[in-house]
Amino acid sequence: MSNKSNKNEDNKPVKVNKWDGSAVKNALDDAVTAVLIKKYNYEENYSLIDGRLLLCGVAVGVAMFALLWDWLYPFPHSRPVLIICVSTYFTFMGLLSLYTSYREKGIFVVAVQKDPAGFVPDNIWEASSALKKYDDKYNLTITVKDGKTGNLRTGSFVRSVANFIDDNGHILHDLVEPEVAKLHSSLLTEKKEK
Amino acid sequence: MLFDQGVLDELWRMNKRQFLYQCLSFGMIVSSALMIWKGLMVVTGSESPIVVVLSGSMEPAFHRGDLLFLTNYQEDPVRVGEIVVFKVEGRDIPIVHRVLKLHEKVNGTVKFLTKGDNNSVDDRGLYAPGQLWLTKKDVVGRARGFLPYVGMVTIYMNEYPKFKYAVLACLGLYVLVHRE
Repeated sequence: MSNKSNKNEDNKPVKVNKWDGSAVKNALDDAVTAVLIKKYNYEENYSLIDGRLLLCGVAVGVAMFALLWDWLYPFPHSRPVLIICVSTYFTFMGLLSLYTSYREKGIFVVAVQKDPAGFVPDNIWEASSALKKYDDKYNLTITVKDGKTGNLRTGSFVRSVANFIDDNGHILHDLVEPEVAKLHSSLLTEKKEK
Repeated sequence: MLFDQGVLDELWRMNKRQFLYQCLSFGMIVSSALMIWKGLMVVTGSESPIVVVLSGSMEPAFHRGDLLFLTNYQEDPVRVGEIVVFKVEGRDIPIVHRVLKLHEKVNGTVKFLTKGDNNSVDDRGLYAPGQLWLTKKDVVGRARGFLPYVGMVTIYMNEYPKFKYAVLACLGLYVLVHRE
């Protein structure tokens, strides 16, 4: 899958159904990710999404285990195990919604900016986005945690998705990149002022 | 729309993690339904807490397509006049009928005979060959509440299995292909 995605970005422009809000948002998120990872050569850190995958994986695993156990030991005997599985499952569902709303908060990429010399601690870039249903305003927020000072700097822009997508629904990377780069450098220059 | 080129393209564009999450979120939809069902089983004590009435044998109390809610608390005694759902050896589908006669021993074991309100004879002809009475282990649950007509959907689904699989396949594919 990842090979295909690379090929797609290099060879032909990504085409989406431009009336499908979530498809547009995902495609733009991917484009922003590509800028951070490819243009600036930051290293993508997957721990945030891995955490979510772990929560989902455990929940689905527990449900499948309950199904198997109930099949092996039909109902009245499986009752204690079912009680454990059902409560575990719903606990994990609760944890998952807490995780997505308080920990992830729409962050779709975490990129680590390594210091080439390796002396200064890494800067951590986080990008999150929001696109309301039936709305064309793509709201991108980039937060950088300065490794040296530990300061958080946040910058964001709101643009109509029409700025980044042509009539046929092709994502225009050439137009996404300068916007992201502008935001990126504004966050970098702030660092120099301090 | 569902097989729109763009939608499939989107699936191909995903990276490994996005694809895995897509599969897991599909799994979670299935699991949630499953866990709600199992949770109901635990709460009601019945192996099948919701059943659909498939025949008219209990008219006018229940009609074909009514949805019944069952409980099966062991400490609750079975009484004459109650509507029980029971399984008979050799039949896949449980039967919903009323208790007609009941014998209870001091040690708590019961045996009882059932009959459909709309049937002219009792159920001995429906039981397994040689079986004259039902016991507690045959009982799936006792009716505690009903919702009229809702079960017709399940009846249609079962009468037209192809329709059912088509609906399920479309829903499944949509969830799997569509990134939220």
